[in-house]
Amino acid sequence: MITIKDITPEQYSTYVGVLTVEDKDSLIGQWYMPDSYFNPIQDADDKWVISVEEIDQCVNPDFMWVKNIPLIPFVPKPAPPFP
Amino acid sequence: MIRIGPSIRPKYFPAATVDPDAQAFITAAGITDATQQSAINTLVTDLKGYGVWSKMKAIYPFVGGTATTHKYNLKDPADTNAAFRLVFNGGWVHSSTGALPNGVNSYALTFFAPTPNADKNSVHISYYSRTDASGGIEMGSEDLSNVSYCLLGIKSGANNSFVAIGDYVGNLTTNTDGKGFYTAQRISSSTVNRWKNGIKTSTYSQSSVNNNTQIVIGTWIRSTGTFGSFTTKQCAFASMGLHLSDSEASDFNTAVQAFQTTLGRNV
Repeated sequence: MITIKDITPEQYSTYVGVLTVEDKDSLIGQWYMPDSYFNPIQDADDKWVISVEEIDQCVNPDFMWVKNIPLIPFVPKPAPPFP
Repeated sequence: MIRIGPSIRPKYFPAATVDPDAQAFITAAGITDATQQSAINTLVTDLKGYGVWSKMKAIYPFVGGTATTHKYNLKDPADTNAAFRLVFNGGWVHSSTGALPNGVNSYALTFFAPTPNADKNSVHISYYSRTDASGGIEMGSEDLSNVSYCLLGIKSGANNSFVAIGDYVGNLTTNTDGKGFYTAQRISSSTVNRWKNGIKTSTYSQSSVNNNTQIVIGTWIRSTGTFGSFTTKQCAFASMGLHLSDSEASDFNTAVQAFQTTLGRNV
């Protein structure tokens, strides 16, 4: 299992942290650092994920467990089209 | 005889005048760095001098290096949604050079929607990008019920810029460098133009339509709450408001470029 300890900052944008549905529900509306809020999204496989930046910068004592969640390569959902 | 020595005259130096709007922002954001304070003051006085200040509804200078200092609107530095204060979501990285979105899930709510907060036929959005990267929309919204867009994509494709303000007609223009100061604006019921670094790069026809969906920075949001493609371009300034005349758009660029230069982060 890969965690944030195993990657470099240059690799942050290529990985995301995987959440359970319960994890996702617990993070919605919560701050990870002052004036910054978690934003769980679904990847192309409908897995709930957060970014490595959120994991790395998290200082909220209630959510320090995100530092240990598994990372996977990020595959985004296709964005809605625009003309 | 009374001997009177050389008189000592106190010297009075006029205190540096700080614009009250600049001071309000400096106080709210807790900006303590003298260079940043001076840059903010000059930005405000420049915008007022150019007659542009009154056309702005929201100005985000991104100074101070943290989410807390970056969230404030220079036009109304209250910590409320009604003041168009930013709310950062997802993985932003804040620093002295601006706010860097991660291209994965980062966006900022503005609480500013084009129609009620500006005008269907007069609106501008601007973004100072410090990153040359392809992909993503830097700011915008889509109102599905009114079938309308307000989008600024600096380098949304490999080498092109995408703008749409109004109905579902957009405009692509070649752009090979994603860095710089970009403004897109609806100037009438039928016309939209875009600017890069003070140069008008295109004018095209598009019908104006109401858009009641708030603009976000870092991507675009649909009225259903879903998001478009996220950007990785670092933001060092953004604004929203009424449209500017050609001379005002040029002056606006001059003021913003000077601001970035003072802060040592111009690109």
